[in-house]
Amino acid sequence: MTNHESIAVGHTVKRIDALGKVTGTTPYPGDIDMQGQLWMKLRYSERAHARIVAVDTRAAQALPGVVRVFTAKDVPVNEYGLIIRDQPVLCGPGSAKPGADIVRCYADYVAAVVAENESIAAAAARLIQVEYEDLPTVFDPEAAMREGAPLLHAHTPNNILSHYRIRRGDMAAGWAQADVVVEGEYHTGYQEHAYLQPEAGLGYVDDLGRVTIIVAGQWTHEDQDQVAHALGLPVEQVRIVYPAIGGAFGGREDMSVQIVLALAAYHLRRPVKIIWSREESILYHHKRHPITIHCKWGATKAGKLVAMQARVIGDVGGYAYTSTKVLGNANLMVSGPYECENMHFDTYAVYTNNIPTGAFRGFGAPQAALAAETQMNKLAQALAIDAVEIRRRNVVQEGSILSVGTPLPKGVSMQPVVEACARESGWSLRDGHFQRAATTQPDNPALRRGLGFACGFKNVGYSFGFPEQNWAAIELYGSAEIEHVVVRAGGADVGQGAHTVFVQMSAEALGVPLEKVRLITHDTAQTRTAGSASASRMTFMTGNAIRGAAAQALENWRNEDRPALATYQYRPPKTTPYDPQTGKSEPNYAYGYVAQSVELDVDIETGHIFVRRVVSVNDVGKAINPQLVEGQIEGAVVQAQGYALMENLISRQGRVLNPFLSTYLIPTVLDVPPEVKSLILEYPDPIGPWGARGVAEMPFIPLAPAIIAAFHDATGVWMHTIPLTPDRVVKALREHGLGLL
Amino acid sequence: MPLWKSYHIPRTVDEALATLAQYGGAARIVAGGTDLMVDLQYTDHVQPLEALVDVTRVQEMLDIHQEADDSCRLGAAVTHATIVKSTLLEARATCLVESCGVVGGPQVRNVGTLGGNVAHALPAGDGTTSLMALDAQALVAWGGGLHEWLPLPALFRGPGVSALDHGKDLLVAFRFTLCAPGEATAFKRIMRPQGVALPILGCAVWVKLNAARTHYDDVRVCVSPVAPKPVRAVEVEAALRGQPVGQQTLENAVAAAHRTLHPRASAYRATAEYRQHMIETLLRQTLPLATERAKTGEARAEGVGLG
Repeated sequence: MTNHESIAVGHTVKRIDALGKVTGTTPYPGDIDMQGQLWMKLRYSERAHARIVAVDTRAAQALPGVVRVFTAKDVPVNEYGLIIRDQPVLCGPGSAKPGADIVRCYADYVAAVVAENESIAAAAARLIQVEYEDLPTVFDPEAAMREGAPLLHAHTPNNILSHYRIRRGDMAAGWAQADVVVEGEYHTGYQEHAYLQPEAGLGYVDDLGRVTIIVAGQWTHEDQDQVAHALGLPVEQVRIVYPAIGGAFGGREDMSVQIVLALAAYHLRRPVKIIWSREESILYHHKRHPITIHCKWGATKAGKLVAMQARVIGDVGGYAYTSTKVLGNANLMVSGPYECENMHFDTYAVYTNNIPTGAFRGFGAPQAALAAETQMNKLAQALAIDAVEIRRRNVVQEGSILSVGTPLPKGVSMQPVVEACARESGWSLRDGHFQRAATTQPDNPALRRGLGFACGFKNVGYSFGFPEQNWAAIELYGSAEIEHVVVRAGGADVGQGAHTVFVQMSAEALGVPLEKVRLITHDTAQTRTAGSASASRMTFMTGNAIRGAAAQALENWRNEDRPALATYQYRPPKTTPYDPQTGKSEPNYAYGYVAQSVELDVDIETGHIFVRRVVSVNDVGKAINPQLVEGQIEGAVVQAQGYALMENLISRQGRVLNPFLSTYLIPTVLDVPPEVKSLILEYPDPIGPWGARGVAEMPFIPLAPAIIAAFHDATGVWMHTIPLTPDRVVKALREHGLGLL
Repeated sequence: MPLWKSYHIPRTVDEALATLAQYGGAARIVAGGTDLMVDLQYTDHVQPLEALVDVTRVQEMLDIHQEADDSCRLGAAVTHATIVKSTLLEARATCLVESCGVVGGPQVRNVGTLGGNVAHALPAGDGTTSLMALDAQALVAWGGGLHEWLPLPALFRGPGVSALDHGKDLLVAFRFTLCAPGEATAFKRIMRPQGVALPILGCAVWVKLNAARTHYDDVRVCVSPVAPKPVRAVEVEAALRGQPVGQQTLENAVAAAHRTLHPRASAYRATAEYRQHMIETLLRQTLPLATERAKTGEARAEGVGLG
């Protein structure tokens, strides 16, 4: 049993959830009903910044069929937040929490109405009279940082939630060595997660008296903590269960309906259900951070980076969510995967009265990569060095010291990833240098074709000292041989296929066929914490926990325990936070590496962009399930294409103007490039399970800058703001004399 | 909660009108429902709608008929997909096929009707834009009993506001003259590159060349949206009428368009500046295309969507 060929890991096995999902029998949170259930509707803030003087619920309460209207005074501990508890559960007067009477954005909740049916709840929610006293607003992060700007939170001077610094080397010496300097200011937009399943949930009190929430999230135990905290209950009194989760991408990292459902179910002792509309989903969960990045980079004639300077400002919106970590990550990634002796970065996370921003696939890395990779491509142009060639001269290697003054964890594969992508994209090695093939132009004179290249890296797992752990438990049943296996691993399968991979890794670690493994998951009452399905960490972390549990369970089995049980907590190497002055730290324990090329056509008459071919080369360490890895790559490419080209969430004075999928456009099947070539490389991570790293975020990261580079190759114009909407494209092209037949 | 209480499927115009009358304005006509269903779901209803009257089985609203005078009578309940498949319309009202072929996606075109599109009264309706260039008339059966043919613009009061009361008045059919030799049409629109989305700008043109095919005898142009209601670009037409076919005339038409057509910004679809650029792009595409069709007498619809 100890020496065997791979029986499960590395094979494309069918997803364990496939049949139920494709036949429509798998329930998602909105599909689950209980006898006697009530319905909830929320009343949201109607101001970007105001003090609520009074909430009059009498008319709502009097409507026949209304059971109860909850307001701020009903929330035992009226605060929540994943990293900082800075947001009231319900805003309004009468709460013990100071400042809970203030709404700081349109995404705040004021009241939760529970009624016998949904339409009565909706009608009652409208009958609530809310009296506001307006407060001064600020929507621009630069303005929010200035003296005299309205302050959103106590103890947060200048609205600066975090300020990270990188101080490395000697900038004056760096600039003195530079033969060429390129500078640019880059702007990225909001992005909506647009998962298939809008927020929904059902709350009830279970047989053991636990307030139980059936919901879709990314981390059952974090939801449990936050619900317990707000209700003032011990965590054992709260139970979180996830049925199937209809996508997440970071958008379910924070609370949506969990706490309000728990509050109502706990007080009313009846099941309470809520389903958000698409409009509510877009309006009331957080978005990807709009970030402005000013960069100035210097290099020698030989193409070697000698100085890098950046100022990064991220719009946090009204509440922190995971902004401290997202901007921390942006600060780390704004150097790109490059070596340089001299770096000076300042990164700010700034509160405004806009919609909150938070986790979204890539976690600050896509914005940073847009700036870093475009800077690199501009340097290549300025120095007349090929875009791949200049990367070969600068990318991180084994032992490279990052901006944070410490070496990358072992297993650095940036250079072979870049070279593999170049080869797959028409580059060839001549006399030791990479050169690209010429692009054939289309017959239609309105179309200009271009090819662009970019690369990137992304941490696997939590960063900067955030406690990182994952539990798994294994039970082996049988007598002479193992007849069946129960694996308890709580990590969220948000659609990426994590649970299939858990089963594969369990079978592999135990040397049993897949069919013998049964997974128990998604329930705080039956599993211990796994951490969140985020930071591309779930395969890595749960895989290591399963391996540890399997080794112990097999040992117990050999010692004749029947059943043989084992519980294991995996803890990776420690990380450390930024030094406040220099940024020195050991930020992460593992990384994945990626490079991409994009071939596209620009219609210079209409400003439309047609992505023809994407090559995505990804070092995932080990593809536990190659088809699922490809699914992640293709999905990330299309989502990133939407981010780069069309997804344009418009916010004015803190209010989202296009909360519908008819006006906030995401890619459809017709937008998917004719070819997405996914190339999976397997340079093992020394501490990853079977060498696995992660995959979910990496293929998102370089796509936007690769598109910018291809656009420049096609038209000679550098774009600095995404998405590249037709308006922006035509304006830029006309300014350069391009277009009009 | 249900969105309506009862659902009626009349077979004749009279039956439809009688059913509507029976509800005294509390019913709504449904002719495909691709807009109406969205509206109903996003309106806060305390009570469900009394009734829906589905007119897509009314036979006289389902015909595409070439009349003796070489006009076409097109039933208002004909779907976009049916129009796209009509060889008569492709050859002799090409712009209508081209505009109906880009509405929504295949599912929307399969159930959505041209009459529904016009009755919804959006100034940028693709079908509307082409009907304007075809100088179409509409047959309205008013709830009061009167049946009358009206010029298309008379159906529009403002953006999304129809002259018809959708609880009483029925849009029965359209009528327009089919293209004769020397005449042709074309439609193009700016929308997202692929997939389903509302148009940013559409442009339909109809041209009639002289016998020698050297001059424009007559021209009709509709660019939309440039106003709260669909309007003809009369200055652009004037710049073309009687003028020789050629580059200078096209430049004059473009100049007239820039001078007189001023689209507004849409908060989330396009800036005014982009639309202004695209008017020129569309004119430079559609005018030469329609002119070429009129010269050769051959017209194959372009850009029609999948399905």
